[in-house]
Amino acid sequence: MDRQQEFVLRTVEERDIRFIRLWFTDVLGFLKSVAIAPAELEAAFGEGIGFDGSSIEGLTRVYEADMIAKPDPTTFQVLPWRGERHGTARMFCDILTPDGQPSLADSRNVLKRALSRASDQGFTFYTHPEVEFYLFDAPADPALPLVPVDQAGYFDHVARGTAHDFRRAAITMLESMGISVEFSHHEAGPGQNEIDLRYADALTTADNIMTFRTVVKEVALEQGVYASFMPKPMADNPGSGMHTHLSLFEGDRNAFHEPGAQFELSTTARSFIAGLLRHAPEITAVTNQFVNSYKRLWGGAEAPSFVCWGHNNRSALVRVPMYKPGKGNSSRVEYRALDAAANPYLAFAVLLAAGLKGVEQGYELPEGAEDDVWELTDAERRALGIAPLPQSLNQAIEVMEKSELVAETLGEHVFDFVLRNKRREWDEYRGQVTPFELRRFLPLL
Amino acid sequence: MSLGGRLMRLGFSDAARAERMLGEDALVAVAGRPVASAAGPDDAGWGPGAVPDDLLVALGAVADPDGALLALARLAGAVDGDPDLSSQLRAMLEPGPARDRLLAVLGASVALGDYVVAHPEEIAVLADPTPGTGVPVVAVRGELLAAVGADPDAGTPAATLTGTGGVDAMRRAYRRRLLRIAATDLVAPDPLSRLPGVAAALADLAGAALEASLALARGALPDHGAGVRLAVLAMGKCGARELNYVSDVDVVYVAEPVDGYDEAYALSVGAKLASALARACSHPSTEPALWPVDAALRPEGKNGPLVRTLASHRAYYERWAKTWEFQALLKARPVAGDRALGEAYVAAVSPLVWSAVSRENFVEDSQAMRRRVEDHVPATEADRQLKLGVGGLRDVEFTVQLLQLVHGRADESIRSRNTLTALAALAEGGYVGREHAAQLAVCYRLLRALEHRIQLVRMQRTHLMPTAEGDLRRLARAVGMRAEGAQGLLDRWRAVRREVRGLHEELFYRPLLPAVAQLSAEDVSLAPDAARARLRAIGYRDPAGALRHISALTEGVTRRAAIQRQLLPVMLGWFADGADADAGLLAFRRLSDELGGTHWYLKLLRDSGTAAQRLARVLSTSRYVADALARSPESVTWLGDDADLVPRDVDRLSAEADAVLTRAQQPVPAATALRALRRRELARSAAADLLGVVTSSTAAQNLTAAADVLLCGALRIAEHEARAEHALAQSPTRMLVVAMGRLGGREMSYSSDADVLFVHDPMPGADPPAAQAFALTVATRLRQLLGDVGPEPPLAVDADLRPEGRNGPLVRSLDAYAEYYGRWSSPWESQALLRARPVAGDTDLGARFVTLVDPLRYPADGLEPSVVREIRRIKARVEGERLPRGVDPTRHLKLGRGAVSDVEWTVQLMQLRHAGSVPALRTTSTLEALAAAAGAGLLTHDDTRTLADAWTMASRLRDALVLWSGRVGGAQADVLPHDRQALNGIARVLGYDAGCGSELEQDYLRTARRARAVVERVFYA
Repeated sequence: MDRQQEFVLRTVEERDIRFIRLWFTDVLGFLKSVAIAPAELEAAFGEGIGFDGSSIEGLTRVYEADMIAKPDPTTFQVLPWRGERHGTARMFCDILTPDGQPSLADSRNVLKRALSRASDQGFTFYTHPEVEFYLFDAPADPALPLVPVDQAGYFDHVARGTAHDFRRAAITMLESMGISVEFSHHEAGPGQNEIDLRYADALTTADNIMTFRTVVKEVALEQGVYASFMPKPMADNPGSGMHTHLSLFEGDRNAFHEPGAQFELSTTARSFIAGLLRHAPEITAVTNQFVNSYKRLWGGAEAPSFVCWGHNNRSALVRVPMYKPGKGNSSRVEYRALDAAANPYLAFAVLLAAGLKGVEQGYELPEGAEDDVWELTDAERRALGIAPLPQSLNQAIEVMEKSELVAETLGEHVFDFVLRNKRREWDEYRGQVTPFELRRFLPLL
Repeated sequence: MSLGGRLMRLGFSDAARAERMLGEDALVAVAGRPVASAAGPDDAGWGPGAVPDDLLVALGAVADPDGALLALARLAGAVDGDPDLSSQLRAMLEPGPARDRLLAVLGASVALGDYVVAHPEEIAVLADPTPGTGVPVVAVRGELLAAVGADPDAGTPAATLTGTGGVDAMRRAYRRRLLRIAATDLVAPDPLSRLPGVAAALADLAGAALEASLALARGALPDHGAGVRLAVLAMGKCGARELNYVSDVDVVYVAEPVDGYDEAYALSVGAKLASALARACSHPSTEPALWPVDAALRPEGKNGPLVRTLASHRAYYERWAKTWEFQALLKARPVAGDRALGEAYVAAVSPLVWSAVSRENFVEDSQAMRRRVEDHVPATEADRQLKLGVGGLRDVEFTVQLLQLVHGRADESIRSRNTLTALAALAEGGYVGREHAAQLAVCYRLLRALEHRIQLVRMQRTHLMPTAEGDLRRLARAVGMRAEGAQGLLDRWRAVRREVRGLHEELFYRPLLPAVAQLSAEDVSLAPDAARARLRAIGYRDPAGALRHISALTEGVTRRAAIQRQLLPVMLGWFADGADADAGLLAFRRLSDELGGTHWYLKLLRDSGTAAQRLARVLSTSRYVADALARSPESVTWLGDDADLVPRDVDRLSAEADAVLTRAQQPVPAATALRALRRRELARSAAADLLGVVTSSTAAQNLTAAADVLLCGALRIAEHEARAEHALAQSPTRMLVVAMGRLGGREMSYSSDADVLFVHDPMPGADPPAAQAFALTVATRLRQLLGDVGPEPPLAVDADLRPEGRNGPLVRSLDAYAEYYGRWSSPWESQALLRARPVAGDTDLGARFVTLVDPLRYPADGLEPSVVREIRRIKARVEGERLPRGVDPTRHLKLGRGAVSDVEWTVQLMQLRHAGSVPALRTTSTLEALAAAAGAGLLTHDDTRTLADAWTMASRLRDALVLWSGRVGGAQADVLPHDRQALNGIARVLGYDAGCGSELEQDYLRTARRARAVVERVFYA
């Protein structure tokens, strides 16, 4: 038993924790939870907790139902919304096969593998997500029009606004769980909010995003509103993305920073961006995994629909933020396609792999885009060599299917599962007759 | 005798030059004595040379007399003109211990000689009789700190001498002490017994140098780095207090803020101190650098921060560290800086070190480490390396550390950092045999002594034996092997290497044998708990069961038990290298129960190391071969001789079958004898395949040859029986068996059925219905002879590929085939005929059959588009229908995505379309057809390789499944298993390293996915 495990056992005792939830994430990015009593904790650290994985998306096939969840004691946190007395705590788990090997189907393991490949080259990968979401009046009934909690806009201060209270409550709760919040404000859409998490190593960030989504949902419930991370809940209002800042560190040094270079960007950073751009289409089915994701990507309003990069260009797929002199360690690039409904483990893994591929192969960074790429005509974009991202889930699947990079990164099992699952989603979606079609065609035909 | 002759006899190599130097004025000035007392032993014939003979004798006693004399002459020149030093040197050259020290140093080390010549005042160190070893570490530390003007009693000593001056002062003090240690070392009567003291003194000196360098680093900062506590921990040899003369010094730094200071500040100052410390030791200055300070063993290696807090170290080791890092931590020892912090670090990491054995993957990791120890030797250095490779220093250290990790968890008495101390403690604690431990210690000391003497010459970090004759001779003299000379030294060294390897087995595995089975009273037997821990640590999953087998094999007074006591320790290691150590040991026990009484079995194992090692490999890797050997134990003899493992070719097998049939009286026993022949060849191929004596494609050909011969023989018996049954003297028709499928392609696997067509051709004038009836009897009988249940494994003969499939007659005449193919043939039949190869029966009929089917399978004008479309449609349909229910298509090795059948259909469609115009495509072999398609430009080379890789890998996996599990056929025979243990086992069969099952799985899934992409492009396009 190591010290971290001892710490957990002690805390459980001291704080009178009655339940410990073991959290893990299925391949589609949905949080799964199994609760155990404190008495079982020691066994959980030792051998893990066995569970039937057969009904969990992508985890197993029916004939190898038994899986083991082994909690990671460094992720221990008391859940604040469960009250102070007789509390509940949670830990993230690694999923193991019955003989104790990391499961190839565990998305946390996919990210760990990607990180360890980076670490073999001397890199640590840091991410900093800006998560957007909408608050609607509860209950949010899919059959009725959605009612946002307010009508404010970007950075608006709303007097006695629900959203304001909401953000304060959510941030307090996040901070009490050890998740630092950098920034929060009202976003452009009515009822839309953004909360930025502080940068941390990618595994911690991915764990944090999973926690964040839960916390936001919990707080919304407490305040009688409904929070949604759906990429594009309302056709006429901006979608919710998860712009993510990425950086590589070599030890204590930011590997993206090179004093005196253009935008202070090192060669590593330039080929990392080149890698992101070259592989962007093939990773899109992972970074934007639902049919709805493509409504945001192609919904205009600064959505990054085209594969290009720019310095502080808010229409580019990859943005290099303005450099603040003297802050060498804050050099980073922002990937703007990602949405808040992605599986953060898989998304970070493919982003890292795409960027690293650029670094390994020394990709040349193409010319940056200075214009608003939405303003350009198709012909102009073609002339500038700016390609579009996939326009639908179907296109994204087709590109991903041919991608060695994604297959290597996800591992053959997850790769295959994602493809099958997404094809099924597309087939079901295509089978729908939408209100749009009825409105448009029923009167005519 | 002339002076030259005298010098030669004393051991000088260049007597003429020595004679010249002896006459130099400066030398005579310090070494000369009045002529009257300089008389030689015989007479004064070479008299007035003035250098006394006892000095010459003393020079002759050192490792390199020529070098010593040269250095002495230069030293004499250096003191020339300085009356004080001159008289000091003259006094030293009087017979006595001081002269011995001086000459020993000059004769062993060119580098130290140069140092003394450059700093002649240092001869005082050699004149001083105080020994350089056994000095309290405080004294050494004080000496070096004083040299840089730091107060040894201060909490954080800081140098008052700074800059280059300080660095040079520290380095001179270091070398002065080094000189003293070398002198003590070199005059020791028995260098091997002095070795631990010398190595400890060198480690203490390195520690003191680190301390003084830290004082220099602090001295260079305005506030002497007051805000930070910094501890320097030595790792590796320095940590173990067994340093050699020149080596990287491995360190780890821990920093903590002093109360009232910020952690970030402390870390940044700590990093500054650490870098300055390393610079003081290893950057160029007026005085040469000491050695590189290597901090690469720190968390995250070279990419991690140089300095961490204690908590940060602990967090890393608890969460991220790998097994080898714990092995490295075993050696961690505070040597400089904040003592309390250093101790706290050791206290924090040591529980992790001693529980490392219970970490997941410990077995795999330690096996991988062992391989690294053994394999990482550049080929050019392989026979010169003292440190790396099998039987090198690292090998000894690894053996001791592994034993410490396994047993140190429960027993604190064996946790010493020092190799020799630990080895003694292991013997003391009863974990290894005393005698063997003592032998290993002697080997280790000898290897280290050689390393020391080699390094001393030029003070270079090297672990290579010299190659020049002169260098080897000097080395032999330096380690007291003057009489044996260069060749004697090399022989001794090679013997030691072999001995180290043997001792590893004895130390590690011998104590696992029960007390009654030990060879001598000196041997130990482990207590049951310790024995189980050790077995588990090397990969036995059921240590209790293994111990029972070991007892059963070695206890008793029989000759068998006696020999097995000798053999088993090393075999236990070999079983552990296989995929399933437990199964290997069990199979060995079974085999021994069966064969132990025969005279040749144990003799073979005892006398042929190869046979025993191969037996261990096949038994622990393949249940199939283990079963086959249990079935026909005499096959064990093959393992002793490669020639016996090489496949028998068809001619030789046919001759054997012919002999069997000629002798035979009864049909069924004859067929059984043939089936036994095939079983034997299956076992031979399997063993040869596993041992890498043949490639897997050769094995497939061998399996095909055995099936071919069996079919030929069975046809003969069946015809004979049919004639008897139909009361005929002559057969009324000629018979032919045509091989199809994998048999036709000579691609048989261990589980393949024999796909065939039966053809006959009535003799002129024979009655066609009677001929047909006769042929039917032959075919039916043949299938019975080979397929019926019997004592020997059957070969299922499957004729379902015949016209009209199961609804058609089992056998047809050639004319009937001609008529059928002329009227009805469908695309799938042409496709199946691509693999048709006459295998048994009438040769002429075979040729006519081939002529008949060639136009069908190699259509001159290729295929109509509609036919191509039809074939694609059938394939698309088959993909869904034939796959067994519930099987993941990515894992089915025959019908799955990118598996065997995908590749074969692709190849066969190309053959049907193009073989008419490309003769090279007319082959029954899949791989040959692929190569031909590439050659004809029908397929790119990349696509060809992708398809060939996938086909080969799927085929090999199917074989490996049989070899690993011992099961032929069954629902899972063609499915890549999910079970991790099975995957690991199959991976071992295929030559992957231990624990690489997941890697194999990924490799296959990737290969097949790529192949499928080619199939979709090429086949369906």
